[in-house]
Amino acid sequence: MHLLEVEKLTKRFGGLVAVNNVSFHIDEGEIVGIIGPNGAGKTTLFHLISGFLKPDSGTVKFKDENVTGLTPHKIANKGIARTFQVVRPFRHLPVIANVMVALKSPRGSRKIEWIKTIERKAVDMLEDVGLTELMLEPAENVGHGDLKRLEMARALALEPDLLMLDEPFGGLNPLETDFLTKSIQRIHLDNPTRGIVIVEHKLYALMKIVKRVVVLHQGEKIAEGKPEEIAKDKKVIEVYMGKAM
Amino acid sequence: MVTTYLRRFYSSFVAYVVDVPARLLSFLCLLLLLSFPIALPVTTKSAYILFVMIIANIMAIYASSWDLLVGRTGQISLGHSLFFGVGAYTTALLCTYVGLPLWATIPLGVLVGTLLAVPVGLPALRVKGPYLALVTMALPLIATGIVIYFREWTGGEHGLYGLPRFFPFLDIYEQRVGEYYLTLIFLFISAVILYKIANSKTGIVLVSILDDELASKACGINITRYKLMAFTVSACFASLAGGLHAHFLRTAGPTTSLSMTLSFYAVIITTLGGIGSIYGPIAGAFILYLLDQYFLTMVVEVPMVWHPIIFLVIVVLFIIKWPRGIARIVVEDVLEELSKARELEERGKHIWKKYRKKKK
Repeated sequence: MHLLEVEKLTKRFGGLVAVNNVSFHIDEGEIVGIIGPNGAGKTTLFHLISGFLKPDSGTVKFKDENVTGLTPHKIANKGIARTFQVVRPFRHLPVIANVMVALKSPRGSRKIEWIKTIERKAVDMLEDVGLTELMLEPAENVGHGDLKRLEMARALALEPDLLMLDEPFGGLNPLETDFLTKSIQRIHLDNPTRGIVIVEHKLYALMKIVKRVVVLHQGEKIAEGKPEEIAKDKKVIEVYMGKAM
Repeated sequence: MVTTYLRRFYSSFVAYVVDVPARLLSFLCLLLLLSFPIALPVTTKSAYILFVMIIANIMAIYASSWDLLVGRTGQISLGHSLFFGVGAYTTALLCTYVGLPLWATIPLGVLVGTLLAVPVGLPALRVKGPYLALVTMALPLIATGIVIYFREWTGGEHGLYGLPRFFPFLDIYEQRVGEYYLTLIFLFISAVILYKIANSKTGIVLVSILDDELASKACGINITRYKLMAFTVSACFASLAGGLHAHFLRTAGPTTSLSMTLSFYAVIITTLGGIGSIYGPIAGAFILYLLDQYFLTMVVEVPMVWHPIIFLVIVVLFIIKWPRGIARIVVEDVLEELSKARELEERGKHIWKKYRKKKK
């Protein structure tokens, strides 16, 4: 049984086929990277899985349950949490309250252990990503790198079985990238059965973490395999670098 | 400049005169603030000012309920007078045709208004932003159409009149005093409830919907349910205000209880006082009504025609210059200054203690 099974997923925007017949799967405890050049359909694929867009055809199965076309909050409550490519914090709220929103959802509040209050749990979540010092700061005063981590804390507050990170390293400096890499690895160790999907442009940072890579190009899956294999794959190099003269 | 002096004065005052915990001090300040409206009837002896203040109380309930929906949840409604009108008409119809006493009709009006919020809110809250504003704007117009169509029952354009008074056994000035305290109590209760909701953990979820619906959905929040909850609570207090208003003016008509002006009064009051704070519209209602009915009519004596234009200028000025509104600026900035002063003073005390120890 796979944790997430995507079968022949297709999404068209008018004449443009954003995601074309993509199938892949994610097992429990696996870290999978989805890469591809701009406009390859990575984010659309994310939207389709997390319910923000409805696919034209194909199915998404999560733990052998068909979740295709469910509303985003239902999918989140089933255990698929996601972050956004462009950070979307709740700007009027302090950092800790951002996390408390996720803890107020049915899944988040169920997962609070009986001895913990919602505040305590939120602090724990912020500790995981190293944001406790900024706890009471309004999110609008927090820097971009910290907001990326805040998004991750918010997703983790749902205690997801599948964590989907949409360009977690986007706009981060090398130091922040390094820190985030370490927190992703720690998150993975905290719950070894949790699957993690990462969409990323920065291949250098990504290849260190993931165990398997799916390559998309113009909405189609062109390759899949271990990072070392993918780095040598002729088709992938062609897509990224152009054809050899 | 002023804030520096204020801070210096406050810090020395707190440190050397009233060495009490900050929590107790803020409670005492609140008590002092509350004592003004409570003592008002004793000090004025003017039925007219009481009349203005009663209307201000009722409008404060109405505007603060609008603030929960718009300022906190971000669901822009320009048709809030629908619920005000439903509250007013339900009580009026029940009084006139069923003959129920007013302590039964006002709760029934609240009930009908609250229940109506569900079928109205479910389709309306599917649209967002300016479209929601347009859809909600149509609601009181539809209600006015219905009221005029059933003119044998509702009295058409003239509305229903001659509703029972709150305290028929008292003389005219004492009635005003009684009504003033009654509306003040209702205002106090509704303000506490709305403030508690807005600042609870549910309130956090409401603000998250205001900030980013998509991210809120991604957090597993059923935003439709929360929006509907805000809409229902808001409708509940708006219809309470409507019921009180109908019984106070002893009439419920399309112009007094269902008009477009009434919907925009919520906007004006909330902008003036401070949007998204619950206490803002309450302050705004008192400022606006005292300015309108007392200052501009009794003191400066500007003709009635000019009042809307003056308010228009004030509101536009506020939106451009001070978008946070009077009450929020005062409360947020002053409180921040005071807490800073307090912190400085505490630090100063520690240093003084250390210094004294060293000397010994």
